[in-house]
Amino acid sequence: MASSRPCFTVLRGICQRRGTQWQQPLGQQLQALRITSNSLANSTSRRCFATDQPTRESLSIEAAGEVNLAALKQFGSKSRARPVPASPSYFSRIPVFNDSYLALEKLIRTYGNLPTIPTSQVERVAWKTLRDYRQTIGEQVKAGDYGRCIGLVKRLHQIHPKLKPGPVKEALEAFKRDIQPFTNVATPIVVDKFGRAVGVGRRKSSTARAWVVEGNGEIQINGKSLADFFGRVHDRESAVWALHATGRLDKYNVWALADGGGTTGQAEALTLAIAKGLMAHEPALKPALRRAGCVTRDPRRVERKKHGRVKARKMPAWVKR
Amino acid sequence: MIIRNIGLRHGRQVIAASASPSCCVRALSTSAAKSATTTPRAPTNVPSFFTTPEQRARQEAIKAEIDKVPDNFKEFRSIQKKTVKMGGETHPRHLPDEMLKYPPHDATLEMLMAAQAHMGHNTSLWNPANQRYIYGVREGIHIIALETIAAHLRRAAKVVEEVAYHGGLILFVGTRKGQTPIVVRAAELAGGCHLFQQWTPGTITNRDQILAQGKLRMVDELDRDVPGFDDHIQDCRPVIPDLVVCLNPLENYPMLHECGLANVPTIGIIDTNADPTWVTYQIPANDDSLRAMALIGAVLGRAGQRGQERRYADAEEGIISWETPSEVRRFVQNTLAAKAQEKKDQARESLEPDGGREMIESDADIKKAIKELTEEEGL
Repeated sequence: MASSRPCFTVLRGICQRRGTQWQQPLGQQLQALRITSNSLANSTSRRCFATDQPTRESLSIEAAGEVNLAALKQFGSKSRARPVPASPSYFSRIPVFNDSYLALEKLIRTYGNLPTIPTSQVERVAWKTLRDYRQTIGEQVKAGDYGRCIGLVKRLHQIHPKLKPGPVKEALEAFKRDIQPFTNVATPIVVDKFGRAVGVGRRKSSTARAWVVEGNGEIQINGKSLADFFGRVHDRESAVWALHATGRLDKYNVWALADGGGTTGQAEALTLAIAKGLMAHEPALKPALRRAGCVTRDPRRVERKKHGRVKARKMPAWVKR
Repeated sequence: MIIRNIGLRHGRQVIAASASPSCCVRALSTSAAKSATTTPRAPTNVPSFFTTPEQRARQEAIKAEIDKVPDNFKEFRSIQKKTVKMGGETHPRHLPDEMLKYPPHDATLEMLMAAQAHMGHNTSLWNPANQRYIYGVREGIHIIALETIAAHLRRAAKVVEEVAYHGGLILFVGTRKGQTPIVVRAAELAGGCHLFQQWTPGTITNRDQILAQGKLRMVDELDRDVPGFDDHIQDCRPVIPDLVVCLNPLENYPMLHECGLANVPTIGIIDTNADPTWVTYQIPANDDSLRAMALIGAVLGRAGQRGQERRYADAEEGIISWETPSEVRRFVQNTLAAKAQEKKDQARESLEPDGGREMIESDADIKKAIKELTEEEGL
């Protein structure tokens, strides 16, 4: 009954295999550790350890035999060379990431008590995205692991800049994106000595530049009047919408160049261009212009065509058989 | 002239937002072109039109507060330094990472008991192969004999120490949640490797593929980098551990199986439900207790550290406890032979115009040259 249970079968097999060893007291076992130097010399293994070969197969794992410590003799005094792993994370799938993660944890332990500043006051930094980071180190880091890592990075970055130690700064550099968008400062539009402010606007694939000066409401686009340039009334209205919405239609003259795209694109590119020029003259008009929808660049472009579809989204007509 | 009646044009909100209308007058003006004509003006102060003085004052106060932080911190540190010894005696508290900060060299029975290393699993879960480690049953669970734990732990520590002394590579594996700091610390102490993520099946048996990207370095008896082996490191096979310490054998069957196949000795924490035959050296203990794991990991790490220290001390005195691997030796011999051949060729080229005496050198000469070079290089 009991002997038919698999676990007991296993046990019996082991007892047979290792019976002598099990009966020995520990002290004897330790003393009995021995190795032949032949096996060491003959071993083709690169390791300098030889272990007893297991004698019989077991049902589960055949663990290696015990190390014969007595045979691990000392060798001569000549210089040696052997390969060792460069990183303690050698046996993991992502050694570089693990090393840097452990280094960050160590920095947190060391410098975690330094005073921090509120997140709203911290210098904005664009950290590497998971994709960038994977590409940099060439390892398939998991998203969750990287998220935890960036959490540590942000915590370290929160340390007061004047108290931030050198090692922390160095460690954070590895996680910064190569191009920092937050360091870009928009060049302010100025009114030049002739009283002109030039604004640039884009919409769809059109580009427009508008020179806005104080005047009496004259508008010229590519050398033509507004009515000549835009056939549609709607386009004419949207081109000067910035002036119209703020009631400045008769207070400024506009000389503009528009190219690329179609009429709608050019008209709405002009809206943005004129709004920017106008804001250079009267900065306080910005909220009004924003409400009129003249400040934001419309980022929409033509959607690409997809395979299996007639256009971007249109499906082919259904044909019966 | 523009009629600047912002109240009429933009409603009440604009007036409310611009708390100082006088400063906005210029911003709204298009007529005062006199100043504009002289110099181009940049609207640098634009945001001020859209923030109230209260907001600005608050922001400035925050900035000022932040600027004061370094000085305050310095003062805090100095006061702390002065007053740290004042007041009543501080009593030792429980430190969660005490075992990692101050790893003990040996585990006493009290320490093992305090770490709950003796608590096994429910009696219905036991693996009868562990019978000889079990002291008895209490409250429905098996209790592991503390003396047995201590004896097995010391035996394992001895093995770790000797392997470290003989320049072996020790791998500490603990893939359960919370075991990461334990294996990392143990590996740091013992100068070995750690693994706290899943074992990639085939890391030993298919190591030419799995560990192909792993970086190796060639070291001498004092673990200093040895130059001149770049070619060999490019070509040689990845290394495998000489000893594996596994904190949770139950979850690491593939790893232990591979170790068995590659004849790598293993040390494992065997709870009452684990199979002791999976590992070479068992340490019966409660593998669900992180404290017990920290204690055992710390003791094994310290053992490895002692081994490394002994190895360095002996190496300083010229006693080296390990042999250069045969592959490395072969590489050195081949390199030196190539060098000797090159030397010979050069000598022949230089001699040929003079009349070509001793053009042919025997193999014995090459062997002699290799021997000389070997002496020079000390390899």
